Amino acid sequence: MKPAKGPDTLAKALALLNDKRVRDVIYQVAVVVGLVGLTVYFVHNASQNMVKAGIASGFDFLWRTSGIDVPFVLTSYTQADNILGLFWAGVANTMLVTVIALVLSTLLGFLIGLARLSSHWLLSTVAGAYIEFVRNIPLLFFVLFWYFGVIASLPAPRDSLRVFGIAFLNNRGLTIPLPDAPGNFRWALIAILLAWLAQWLVARWARHRKEATGRDAPVLAIGLGLVVLVPVLAITWASLATRWDIPVLRGFNYRGGFVVIPEFVALLAALVTYTAGFIAEIVRGGIQAVPHGQIEAASALGLQRGQTMRFVTIPQALRVMIPPLTNQYLNVLKNSSFGAAIAYPDVVSLFMGSALNNTGQAIEIIAMALAVYLVIGLAVSAFMNWYNARIALVTR
Amino acid sequence: MKTILAAAAMLAASATLAGAQQLAPSPTLDAIKARGTLECGVHLGLPGFSFANDKGEWTGLDVDYCKALAAAVLGDATKVKFTPTSVQQRWPILQSGQVDLLSRNSTITFSRNASLGLNFQGINFYEGQTFIVRKSTNAKSAADLDGASVCVAAGSTEEKNAADWFRERNLKVAITNFQKNDDAITAYDSGRCDAYTAGVGALAGQRAKLKVPGDHIILTQPISNDPQGPVTRWGDERWQLVVRWVLNGMIAAEALGVTSANVDEMKANSKNSEVRRLLGAEGGFGAMMGISNDWMYNAIKQVGNYGESFERTVGQGSTLKMERGQNQLWTKGGLLFTSPFQ
Repeated sequence: MKPAKGPDTLAKALALLNDKRVRDVIYQVAVVVGLVGLTVYFVHNASQNMVKAGIASGFDFLWRTSGIDVPFVLTSYTQADNILGLFWAGVANTMLVTVIALVLSTLLGFLIGLARLSSHWLLSTVAGAYIEFVRNIPLLFFVLFWYFGVIASLPAPRDSLRVFGIAFLNNRGLTIPLPDAPGNFRWALIAILLAWLAQWLVARWARHRKEATGRDAPVLAIGLGLVVLVPVLAITWASLATRWDIPVLRGFNYRGGFVVIPEFVALLAALVTYTAGFIAEIVRGGIQAVPHGQIEAASALGLQRGQTMRFVTIPQALRVMIPPLTNQYLNVLKNSSFGAAIAYPDVVSLFMGSALNNTGQAIEIIAMALAVYLVIGLAVSAFMNWYNARIALVTR
Repeated sequence: MKTILAAAAMLAASATLAGAQQLAPSPTLDAIKARGTLECGVHLGLPGFSFANDKGEWTGLDVDYCKALAAAVLGDATKVKFTPTSVQQRWPILQSGQVDLLSRNSTITFSRNASLGLNFQGINFYEGQTFIVRKSTNAKSAADLDGASVCVAAGSTEEKNAADWFRERNLKVAITNFQKNDDAITAYDSGRCDAYTAGVGALAGQRAKLKVPGDHIILTQPISNDPQGPVTRWGDERWQLVVRWVLNGMIAAEALGVTSANVDEMKANSKNSEVRRLLGAEGGFGAMMGISNDWMYNAIKQVGNYGESFERTVGQGSTLKMERGQNQLWTKGGLLFTSPFQ
């Protein structure tokens, strides 16, 4: 006799539930459905309450004239532009300070990390003290220290520090000459990029030839010429061929030229000095993670100390360093929002501060600012992951 | 339990009123009565307007208004919980219902009224925006500030006013926006800016925070009109009625010569029927709004009329020593004018 159909399918279904893969799928679907449901509920609730409270919602406010004056803009934004323009001006300022801080803090962090490992007692002690100091102090302190402690104690415009009578440093910032027509500089930039490309090609060709034939090429001399001499010549030519807008002291401050505002300098200095402390530790950890046998093997092969560092230690250390370094880079991006504390016109200060208060569109504005950090952050982390995969140990 | 009792009390109260009139529901008023305290959003710290002294007691013109409102609604001027709010927090805190109203030196503007769900219930301070500069700059008016850098609080009406004013006159001014008034004035004091801009009342209060107040001068010519007063959220018209008429009541009391000193005598003996209606001796005006008929009697007895509050907080009796100016009664050359209690 055939057994009844019901209990059989039930048993099968129960057996399926015991399958780990099936269970995983069920959990994941449940979590996603729950999340989506929660989001829909929150959005619905918020929009209903806003309608009830008479608050306008939507993104129409982005096309209103902003009327906010920004003292430091990289985009073509002016006060007469709309709020979307203000948003982009803020994003550009955030990106500028982040990118420069990334580069400088990496360089400084590497130097301090190497100094920490140095066999020179004084050097390694000073580096160690710096790292301990930095890692145990909140970033806001650094920002305020650089702003109110260092930059604000610069002289007033009348008593500016002069650099060859063309650049002036005071508590309103660094005023530097600005070319009237940047055309020549564009050509100089193209020339420099071409020279660098040529250098890369020459180096590649020389390496291939050395591997193939064992003959050396005068790479260093050609490289110096292309990498250093060409830019120097190009910039000198462009500077001489351009009319300059030289700052002059008139009334309250210097007129003309380009002003690097003190808020930018203070925020950059704070981010670099702070992040370098963390990067130094990552560098130290990465280098110490390379087994000592590798270095012994390198010296047994007759490699010198510098060569050991370049060809054996650093490449292996990088693999350990990249993931924590990615975290630090993301921190630099996020920490750039501390600029709002000292009036650096970044996306937080301009958009979540001024624009939010003028329009009151809190939900939309905070969502947009969040998206900015999310998009830039994911891009940075995607790049670092790609780089990490590229330098990963190839195991066969 | 407290809520049940309050509900029972309200039921009893509405039963006595029933028949006479059916009051529209007022969730805010009901919540305040049930809670037993008024929740009032004030400025983080602006001497003369809302400032917590070293004993933690809030004082100031905006604070006094909240106390008067609490006296009118709950019969006790001390039953106020003050919530300090920054420029950024103020609207969301009101919109989300965390406070019953804002009384914090905020300018009444069209877009705030039209798109933020905010209502402005009258003016308790007429203000003009101006600048504070170092005496050594020799600037006499805002027009002398060409080329200067100006510190301001981000998102304030002052930020936009200043940008507009200088642009219209083709003057180049670098405006630096700080998140808080206090940060802006610290930066000004440290020499980052040539000027700091805010309302004249705020400047008078903040000047005291500077290292050497005597080195600075407040420019007299204002560049804007910034009327300020209590703010409520949309909906709940009956609550708005109370907020508006307590303010009117304080100003009317000054015009009618009712002070905290003579309010008992006035209530008992005044022949002026507007005074009698104001103080609840006739007319039943409090009950029309759903509160005690003693509402303005309590407010004036415990806090005082507008003039008394002004003198004590920002006027000659305070450290700010501001002139009444525009904030004088219309009969004495100012702008204060209220609708009659009829």
